[in-house]
Amino acid sequence: MTTSTPSPLTGSARAGILTYMGISALVYVLMMSLGLVMRLTQATWLDLPPNLFYEVMTAHGAGMVGISGLAGSGVIWYFLRRYVDLSTGILWANLTFFLTGVVLILGGIFLGGYAGGWTFLFPLPAKGLGAWGVPGAASFLIGLLLIGVGFLLLYLDFARAIIAKYGSLGNSLGWPQLFGGSTDESPPAAVIAATMVLIVNIAGILAGAVVLVLILVNLFMPEFALDPLLTKNLTYFFGHVFINATIYQAVVAVYEILPEYTKRPWKVNKVFLAAWTASTVMVMAVYPHHLLLDFAMPTWALVMGQIFSYLGGFPILVVTGWGALTIVHRSGIEWDMAARLLFLSIFGWCVGVVPAVIDGTIAVNQVMHNTMWVPGHFHMYLIVGLVAMLFGFMYYLSNQSKRTGIDKVAFWLYLVAGVAFSFGFLTSGMNSIPRRWAVHLPEWVSFSQSSSAIAAVVALAALVFALRFLTSLKHARTT
Amino acid sequence: MSKNQRLAAVSSGLLILITLTPVASQLTSTMRGHVLLQIPLLVAVGIGFGRSLAPHLVRFLNRWNAMGIPGILITIFTIAFWMIPRWIDASLTNTSVEWIKHSSLVLLGGIPLALSWERLYPVARGAVKIEFLSMLFRLGWLYLISPDRFCNSYLLEDQIWLGWGMIIIGMALTLTWLVPVFFGEYAPAETGHSSPKNPNEAPNAA
Repeated sequence: MTTSTPSPLTGSARAGILTYMGISALVYVLMMSLGLVMRLTQATWLDLPPNLFYEVMTAHGAGMVGISGLAGSGVIWYFLRRYVDLSTGILWANLTFFLTGVVLILGGIFLGGYAGGWTFLFPLPAKGLGAWGVPGAASFLIGLLLIGVGFLLLYLDFARAIIAKYGSLGNSLGWPQLFGGSTDESPPAAVIAATMVLIVNIAGILAGAVVLVLILVNLFMPEFALDPLLTKNLTYFFGHVFINATIYQAVVAVYEILPEYTKRPWKVNKVFLAAWTASTVMVMAVYPHHLLLDFAMPTWALVMGQIFSYLGGFPILVVTGWGALTIVHRSGIEWDMAARLLFLSIFGWCVGVVPAVIDGTIAVNQVMHNTMWVPGHFHMYLIVGLVAMLFGFMYYLSNQSKRTGIDKVAFWLYLVAGVAFSFGFLTSGMNSIPRRWAVHLPEWVSFSQSSSAIAAVVALAALVFALRFLTSLKHARTT
Repeated sequence: MSKNQRLAAVSSGLLILITLTPVASQLTSTMRGHVLLQIPLLVAVGIGFGRSLAPHLVRFLNRWNAMGIPGILITIFTIAFWMIPRWIDASLTNTSVEWIKHSSLVLLGGIPLALSWERLYPVARGAVKIEFLSMLFRLGWLYLISPDRFCNSYLLEDQIWLGWGMIIIGMALTLTWLVPVFFGEYAPAETGHSSPKNPNEAPNAA
């Protein structure tokens, strides 16, 4: 059982967190707008040249993943510093690396023409076929590297601060209580989550640092022929872990804010500890579900990918979902915007993993993986899950969480349109519409047209959330 | 004989062994012996000398080594220089280059490392370790896939041995560094909440 003891934020720390979340709010709206542009193009309502479509697709993917990492790290930093002594300088250093990386990525895409997708799958960066050259691809990859360096520093600082207080990562995951029979109080949920996140993300960034540099070497010296399968494994280990870990950072908002609202502590019991330890391992082992179509992969790895797709997120999801339900049940909680969005996010997380589990089944994956079913999964997971969580935190942070009329409207529009938009992708996938195609067959256009209209509503609702946060910064919490 | 003097004596003995005796030619007779043994041993000799320096000399040098950053940068660039294959080749064919290699790895590789490591902010130490690991994996991979020999003095097969050696050492170092992070040199056995003696004293982060 744990409760946080908020201490005042220093001016620099407060400015840092507000900058993280302010940038995130703006970029989410901007990236949603790019998504809308893509859907409008597929709907034939916008005449975007295919090369520009793929550039927009690359920026949309890289932007969403990157900003989710930034926003998630902002949330967890804000709460983790209540328990351990974090460095504000490193918070700012991460932002500096991030923004420098973003400039290089955008330059690589819109000046260099790189349009190979945010997953930079080998050998695509070196095979621009005239659409882009070495400078564009190199700028994109170096930008990713810089962003990785920033996050590495941030997570190393988490590790330093946590080890300084708890002695080891095993202790901060609650292993003495889980395995050693210790009756001491368990570490707080925020510390447990931060420990898991730093473990998986440092491992992921290490893999990313290796593979990105090797792809850069190949870019300039093609005679160094990389093994495409090994490269793909490392790329997806890095990429999947990074995007997956964003929700494990943001969920700390649920663990901290709901107890504050309900005046009930978030219980950290053995089941909770076991769930986080299990997911620490499984989050790193689940990535082969991205490679189920790769026949050359060892069978055991594919089977592992399927099994962990079924199991990977469930332990934490179950303890978080169950915990959220029990903590609000008959608590008399005031359902302001923060509470509503956080509770919605648990729902979005729960339903968002279902299409992933289905696609993680090898037999289904062989048919569905390159269809819009997969964007259906991650849009549901991100829009209704992660991004709702982050906007919930922003309402909490801005101290302006009382609902106004426009908030109520925006919330319901976001919920309904977010779910509908995701189902638009899922139904498209069920109808075998491929993903990552700039030009759609006439039979597919109606799907894109309805999705475009709904996407505009999602972006509009997100704009309301973002503006409400950005116009309330002066009222933001100081603890 | 003081502890520092013993350390200096052992370092001197090791230096003579790996540079002036037939062991030197044995080590450099293979690429893996050269890169994975002689070069790290030369750095280790420098670390030994660095740790045995007189306190007043350490204080003097530390005036130019704010937070250990200049020192660690000198170490990194020195080691990176001796990862360049043409200089490895040159050290085998040119005696002057060979002596520059020996002296630079001791004086600019090991000694600054010894003087800087404890002064580095823990996050910087962690970053150096992670970058060192990723560099081992990158170079190991490159050596494995290179279609040509990097060094004229060594065979392609030897180069592949070196690649595997780097990857295996990288994995071994990963495990070695992870164990205390997870199980903790600071962790008392019975409790999950105990702090190190001074919670503000940052331990090794990674």
